[in-house]
Amino acid sequence: MLIPLLKKDFLLAKKYWVIMMIAAIVFPVFIQTKLILGEVFLSFFLSTLYIVFLLFSTVSMVEEKYRGAALLCTTPYTRKALVKSKYLFIISIFVGCYIFYTLTVLLSPIKIGMLDLYDIGRTFLIITAVFGIAIPVQYRFGYEKTRYIFFFFIFVTPFILPNIMKLLQNNESTVRDLISFPGPILGLLLVGAALVIGGISLNLSIQIYSKKDL
Amino acid sequence: MKPVLEVSGLKKHLGDFQLEDMSFSLPEGCITGFIGVNGAGKTTTIKLILGLLLPDAGNIKFFDKEIRNNEREFKNRIGIVLDEGYFYEELTLLEMKNVMAAAYSNWDNNKFNYNMERFGLQLNQKIGTLSKGMRMKYAIALAISHNADLLIMDEPTSGLDPQIRTELMDILLDYVKDGKSVFLSSHITSDLDKVADMLILIDNGRVVFREEKDNLLDQHGLVKGDKKELNDRTRSLFLTLHESEYGFSGLTKEKAIVRQQMKNVLLERPSIEDIMLGYIGR
Amino acid sequence: MKIIISNASDPPIYQQIKNQIKDAILQGELKEGELLPSIRALANDLKVSVLTTRRVYDELESEGFITTKAGKGSFVAKENFELLLESKRRMVEVKLTEAWETARLLGIRKSELYAMMDLLFEEEEE
Repeated sequence: MLIPLLKKDFLLAKKYWVIMMIAAIVFPVFIQTKLILGEVFLSFFLSTLYIVFLLFSTVSMVEEKYRGAALLCTTPYTRKALVKSKYLFIISIFVGCYIFYTLTVLLSPIKIGMLDLYDIGRTFLIITAVFGIAIPVQYRFGYEKTRYIFFFFIFVTPFILPNIMKLLQNNESTVRDLISFPGPILGLLLVGAALVIGGISLNLSIQIYSKKDL
Repeated sequence: MKPVLEVSGLKKHLGDFQLEDMSFSLPEGCITGFIGVNGAGKTTTIKLILGLLLPDAGNIKFFDKEIRNNEREFKNRIGIVLDEGYFYEELTLLEMKNVMAAAYSNWDNNKFNYNMERFGLQLNQKIGTLSKGMRMKYAIALAISHNADLLIMDEPTSGLDPQIRTELMDILLDYVKDGKSVFLSSHITSDLDKVADMLILIDNGRVVFREEKDNLLDQHGLVKGDKKELNDRTRSLFLTLHESEYGFSGLTKEKAIVRQQMKNVLLERPSIEDIMLGYIGR
Repeated sequence: MKIIISNASDPPIYQQIKNQIKDAILQGELKEGELLPSIRALANDLKVSVLTTRRVYDELESEGFITTKAGKGSFVAKENFELLLESKRRMVEVKLTEAWETARLLGIRKSELYAMMDLLFEEEEE
């Protein structure tokens, strides 16, 4: 039930596939070799966030334009399945980005750092948090209004991000000391936290969408 | 005859529009025309049946089963054609079909391919490049390829040229041959003159009448004649009356009395449009 | 079989169809045991409602003109054929009785009535 819907989302963004695949390879390399040397986490996180955001908003835009979801709701596809497929879409892109990054590390002549479980956990948690808020908001207020909210955040990000980064970097060691888990376990904990957030967000979205007039 | 679909007490408040206590049923094996002017509530009613809008009150039964509790089964057994198409125009006909087909438990791909060929449609074409008529045929091919018992269509003929509309009506007549049912909304009643078995007229969110088409045509008469024939008493026999310098024409439901009291008039069979306008008085 | 629906004449559509099928049966145009079109096929061809053709077949069946076998279709009835002719004869008798009674009321004599009948036959022969 979900796979054809997932396939549909990928088809709706088919124009961007190639560019995104290239981006998933080039961005981390570029960031690590030219911008912030050796920053494995940041390079993976930023490129993944960018790719997920672009694909997700492309698909949302197409959905808004043609209102195909309404037609699909008249078929045996349930509204619940439509919502679930959106979350699955984001997870798939994340996994795709990870695979491309790893392949780049293994195959590329330019040396970039391997991702550890802690990097994956952090990236997954933040992306889940961002879209865990964005998706229900979009189901509630529609694509148009949500876009403005997104734009606002993107506009504000350059002003806030450096401060957050500094804060994070200063506290990272303290956080690590405080929770004295080894990296991989912490990574798994972060993934677990992300799944909880994602689950709550999914249920919220299903609730919102089930009560919506299409 | 048992009803395919039974709608009772359906209510929906939608901005300025109010659907009030909509109740009707669709007989099996029939093409039922759902008529009314634009804004009468046809699309709202259809969207409520399809679950795109959530009703404020009322219930809908499909073969005697409440659809609220059997949504998947209901949707598996109906075919849908919506007026705007609601297709992802960037996809090809094949890609869109694959998404739709996966939803149905009894999708018949041979039948689909047969219909695509019959309608002259190419699988690798982009939906966005289809003409309005082709798009409608594609929507029908998608809707009738999973052995649906009921085909629900919202304004399928609007914006189509007469030749394609005639083709479409033939497709419908062919579809009901083995006892299947069609529910079709339209404000172009001339299409329904030819194919409908049953007519439901709604206005301002209410059912005005639900009647067999031939009964309607039998019961009503279009009267034409000299204005000398009109007086206070004979005027009251008409549902609508148009007077001009040259004479009058009007719709009556009292054919026997008209024949008795107005000797020198022409009494003709009306069209569905004449009858519709007679009841909603616009 | 020829069926023409008049939009100008008064009898309801189903009555017009029913009478014409009856005539076709009585005149032997439709043979005993012959398969009739399905109600949907007939409705589509005549551009009338399937509810109308269904009523026509229902009434023809209850009057003994046709029989319907589930899943097979409707056929011109066999056994009742003689009975049908008989009933048609009886109808003629009834109508003639009516005419005779009216004539008697108006004081029309036997010879005059015969003359009228002769005239009708002559007109037909022409």
